[in-house]
Order: sequence, then C-alpha cells, then structure tokens
Amino acid sequence: MADALTEKGSARSWRAPRLTLRQREAIEAWLFVSPTVAGFLLFFLGPLAAVVYFSLTEWNLLTQQATFVGVKNYVDALSHNPDFWHVLRNSFVFAMGLVPLNMALALSLALALSRPFRGVIFFRTVFFAPVVTSAVAWAIVWRFLLQGEGGAVNQMLALVGIDGPNWLREPDWAMVAVIVTRVIKMVGLNMILYIAALQAIPRDYEAAARLEGASNWQIFRMVIWPLLAPTTLVIFVITMIGSFKVFDHIYLMTGGGPENGTLVLAFYIYEQGFKFFNVGYASALAMIMFVIVLVLTVVQMTLRRRDMQ
Amino acid sequence: MKHRMRTLTASTVLALGLVSGQALAEELRFTVWTGSEAHLKMLNEIAESFKATHPDVTVRFETIPAADYTQKLTFQLAGGNPPDLGWMMEDAAPTFAAAGVLMDLGSTLRSAEGYDFADYSEPALGLWVDGEAVYGVPFSTSPFMIYFNKTLFDEAGLEDPLQLAAAGKWNMDTFQDVAKTIKEKTGKWGFEFKDGQGYDSRIMHALMPPIRAYGGDVWANGECGFDKPEAIAAVQQLHDMVFKDKSIVPPGEQGDYFSGSSAMTINQISRASKMPEAGFDWGIAPLPSGPAGESPVIGQAAIVVFERGVQKELAAEFVAHMTNKENVAKMAQFFPPARKSVLDSEAFTSANSLIPAEQMAYVSDAIAKGKVLPSHEKSPQILAAMAPKVDALWKADANVEQALADVCAAIEPLL
Repeated sequence: MADALTEKGSARSWRAPRLTLRQREAIEAWLFVSPTVAGFLLFFLGPLAAVVYFSLTEWNLLTQQATFVGVKNYVDALSHNPDFWHVLRNSFVFAMGLVPLNMALALSLALALSRPFRGVIFFRTVFFAPVVTSAVAWAIVWRFLLQGEGGAVNQMLALVGIDGPNWLREPDWAMVAVIVTRVIKMVGLNMILYIAALQAIPRDYEAAARLEGASNWQIFRMVIWPLLAPTTLVIFVITMIGSFKVFDHIYLMTGGGPENGTLVLAFYIYEQGFKFFNVGYASALAMIMFVIVLVLTVVQMTLRRRDMQ
Repeated sequence: MKHRMRTLTASTVLALGLVSGQALAEELRFTVWTGSEAHLKMLNEIAESFKATHPDVTVRFETIPAADYTQKLTFQLAGGNPPDLGWMMEDAAPTFAAAGVLMDLGSTLRSAEGYDFADYSEPALGLWVDGEAVYGVPFSTSPFMIYFNKTLFDEAGLEDPLQLAAAGKWNMDTFQDVAKTIKEKTGKWGFEFKDGQGYDSRIMHALMPPIRAYGGDVWANGECGFDKPEAIAAVQQLHDMVFKDKSIVPPGEQGDYFSGSSAMTINQISRASKMPEAGFDWGIAPLPSGPAGESPVIGQAAIVVFERGVQKELAAEFVAHMTNKENVAKMAQFFPPARKSVLDSEAFTSANSLIPAEQMAYVSDAIAKGKVLPSHEKSPQILAAMAPKVDALWKADANVEQALADVCAAIEPLL
C-alpha cells in the first residue's frame, strides 16, 4: 500500500510542479475570474483611465490635436462657465423629480400587483411593456400627444375645463413632461424589483402583526417597509444613476430645449464632445458627473446603514 | 511524385494569382446620406462607368442618416477609419476645411482630361475654394422653393403661388394673405417650416428666406445681422403669422405638408420624390420676394476627399470622374448642378419627371440669383448658442426686437 502511494506520488510530481492545495485553488479561481477581470480592465477601467487622461487635455476630436492643460477644463467648468451650473441644476431637478415619483409609483404598483388575483399577469405586463418599448417610438408618440392645442393630452384636459400648456415649448412644463414620460416608461422595472422583494417576505410576519391588531398602514410601516429597505436602496441607487445619465429621452423629446430648460448634464457632455468636438472638456464634465453620482450613492448607503443599525 | 510536384506548382501559381488579383482590386468607401433606391442606383451606375478607366476599382456607397451624418463621419475620422470620400453639407464645410481633414482636389481636377473646371459657377464654389485650393466639388446646389398644395388653394378660391409669381404678385405680403385665407377657409395650416423643424433643428431654414427677402442677413463679415431693422421686420412678420394670423404651424404642433395638413412649405426639389404618394395636386414656386426683391436661398452639398484616407489620390480621380459634364448631367435629375453648361441646358429643365419644365425654370433662375445658406467655422457652437434665444422668440407675447438683440448678444462672441 505504502509502495503504491509512493508510486502515485512520484507520478504526480512528474506531471506537474508540486503545488499546495491552496495554490492550486488560487490558480483555478484566477482562471475562472480571468475573463471577467479581462473584460473589466479592457472595457471599464481602461476607458475610465482614458477619460481621466482626456479630461486633462484640450483635445479636438476633428483635428486630433491634444494638448496637456492640467486641470484647466475642471476650472473652466466650475468657475468660468455659467452654462455648467444651469445644466447641473437641471440635472438635479430632473433627478429630484424622477427618483421619488418613480419609486413611489413603483412601490404602489408592486403593492397592488404582488398578490395573485385574476388578471394580475395582464396588469404587470401592461406596466412593464414601456420598459421594453423602443425609446424612439415612445418619444415620437409622446411628442404627438403633448402638442400645444392639437395634442390629445390637452384635448382631454379641455374636457374638464383645463387649458393645458404647450408642454414641450415652455421650459418648466417641458421638464415636467420629460420627467413624467420617463417615469411612465421606466417604472415597470422598479415595480418588478419591488414585487420580487414583497413576495420574498414571509406571510407569517404579516399574519403575526395582524393577530397583534395592527392596521394595514401599521403593517406596511412597521413590517413591510423595513424589510424592503435593501431593495429600496438598490432601486434608489440605480434610478438615481439612471436619472443623471439620461440622454436618449432628452435627445428625442426636447433636444435640451426650450431655452435650455431640459439641458441636462449627459446631453451637455454629448454636445461638447460630439457637436463641438471638445473631447477634453466633455471628459472633464463626465468626470464631474461620475463624482456627483458616486458621492450621492455613498451618502445614501451610509445613511441607510446607520438607519438599519 | 512527379504528379504531386505538378499539382503543388499549379496550386502555388493559382494562389499567387489570386493574391495578386486581390492586391490589384481596390475599393473606395464613399459615405452619403441618401437611402433612396433611385439615388443609389444612379450613384452605382456612375461608379460602374469609372471601370472604363479603372477596371479594378469598385466604389461602395455607405448610407448614414442625414441627422447623424456629420457626427458619425467625425467618429470615423477620429477613430482612424476614415471613408475615402463622402458628401458634405454646407454648414459643416468650414469646420472640416479649417481642421485640415479635407484634401485639396485642385490639381487633380484641373489636370483631368476634358474636365473644364471653369465651367463651375464661381459663386457656387465660394464655400469650397480657397485661392487655388479646392476642398469640395458641389454636386447639389439646390435652392429652397415653395411647395404648395394646389387642391387646398382651389378649395379656398385662391390663385396659387405659381400663378401669383407669373403675375408678378408673389411677395411676402401676398404670402401672408394667402396663408391666412387658407387657414380661415379650409381650417388647414397656411404654411409649415421645412420638415416641420423650423423651431429646432431648422432655425436657419425658417428665418433666412424672409430675412434675405427684406434685404438683411443673419451675419456677415463677423457682424450679427439679426438685430438690424430688415431682419426685425422680416421676423416680426413671421411672428405675426404664427401668433396673430395663426396661419403658420406654431411651435409644439405638427402640421405635415406632405400629408395635406398645410397648404405650403419650403423645401428642395429632391423632396419631390415624396409627392407621388401625397394624394393632392401640387406644384413648386419661387420664394416670395420682399422689399429687397427676389433673394433665393440655396442649400449646398459637395463631394470631398478625406486627407487621412489611404487611397486619397484614387478617390480624387473618382471625384473628377463623378463631377465631369456627363455625370453631372445625369445627377441633375435629383441634384441641381453647379456646372453652367448643364444648368443652362434644356436637359436640366426636363430632367425631373415629377416637376414640369416651367417650374424647373424657376429652379434654374433661383440657382443663378441665389445665395448659399450662411455657414461658419463655428457653426455648431453658433447654432447651439442661438437656439435658446430663438426659443424665447417663439412665444405669443415675445418682444421680437428684444429677442433678436438677445440672439446677437449670444452669438457675437463666436462670430
């Protein structure tokens, strides 16, 4: 037996260098994660590092001439460009309007549609369908519905005696219009996340609370809402990031107008980079947007963690 | 063994032949913004005829939608994958020429056999020539014309713009009158700006024609013209038509001419291809004249070769072929030419099967008398700076003079 083991051992050492189990596992683990790591380095970290470098240059996309200018682009954006602050304000207004509205609506829909009843699948599909609808088709239809006098929305408002505004041609109303149409388009995604979270809450908790005499509101406030906290955090973060990154919706609905009333940061970055060819300046703006979103996310996560403690 | 050797030798010779054949065959990549089958068929025929002198050269036309054309072209150039040659719109020309990405075609064109560069109308070349250097050859010098819905004019009991033009009565006042009458009598809009985009992406196409008819300009020699009395009077008239007469499709509304919702619009003759499916009688007429007389406005596009292309000399030879007299005459059915010999020929006025010769004569006349849309090295920045100020103009209670002064204040630093 001992001879057999020795023989087996020598055969192994002939095939491969002697490695400990831990080393072998480490190599295997690296091999398993290497495609993802390569992708991360190549398609995320690489471009991110490139954007940081571009933001320190004055680079004209068309002439392909780049000059290293240090932090000039950041200084220009933050202290010499009044447009930047206007655009930043618009981005915050958009996010502050969209995030609460989206989350409140998503939670309400999820509470209504999380329990099985006749037709529940139909309603879930109806509210989720806009998420998978083409953004272009969505924008064209809404532009048509939101016309000044001839639009269906204003004609319906006229039926109840309301003289609707020219939605997409008045700066404040245009912002309201892009927020609401964006919420209707994307709310289905958050609704599904909330439904999944609600269905994961054991029914016993609710039954126990009810036995204790809790009302529906108390059950929601004291049992369901705290248990939804991790999902709420995820939804908040992805919705907020999405709202700062919004581009296609603005491009298609208003083009940043009227009077720059819906000109948000992502669209402004696109204009600077791809219409005016100032890639360096656009990259600096992109880095500023990255930092804003990062800070907001960290703050939210910290507050939530303290809440949970 | 001998047999095997023979087979090997034959295979090697064949393989070498294929490789050398491949090396000789060359392909030029040509970006365009048309997706029209008729246009592409014509372009491919021209490419095919190039084989008479360059049998191994093929040309691949690549369509990029007009709305994204300049941006996508820029990405290709910046990404190190430039097309060999392409179409270019007038508003992009100064920016691209100043960036040094366009090849000087002057020597190739002047030395091409039978080309006759002097046949090109000098004003039409203005945007593309700098001294002896030629950065593009205009293939379309297309004036903006009034398209009218004859059926709606008849319904309203009005003389149509063509009849008014023939009688010498087609001016900005009659334009306003007929638009108002159409609205009152038919309920349809009197006029729609180009493609319904006069308040956003086609600001220039909306404002330029009346301003020039009044004798003004949007800018010239580094000076803004929007706040001059001529421009104010012209824009005030448009403003009145939108908000007082309610005869022009207002901002935020849709009133598509091509589906019969508006009685008039402004466009180029290439849009005539949309008319057979419109379902109403129609015609084209010149732009209404103003206090400054007739002042046609021209939109232009040219063929350019990219300096960073690897086959730029060959591409330049193809430009010389594509814009010779014969091929320009062929293209004239869709794109009004800048070659005087073709423009003056009967072949041009009868080239478009959809537009009668007497209406095409107005097109020729407009090309001869017209001025190209304004352009500038900083066109994208100027348009972006203008846009919010022009938005403020298009409100019922706007003070036109103040709004136009604000436009000037916004764009002057860029001029």
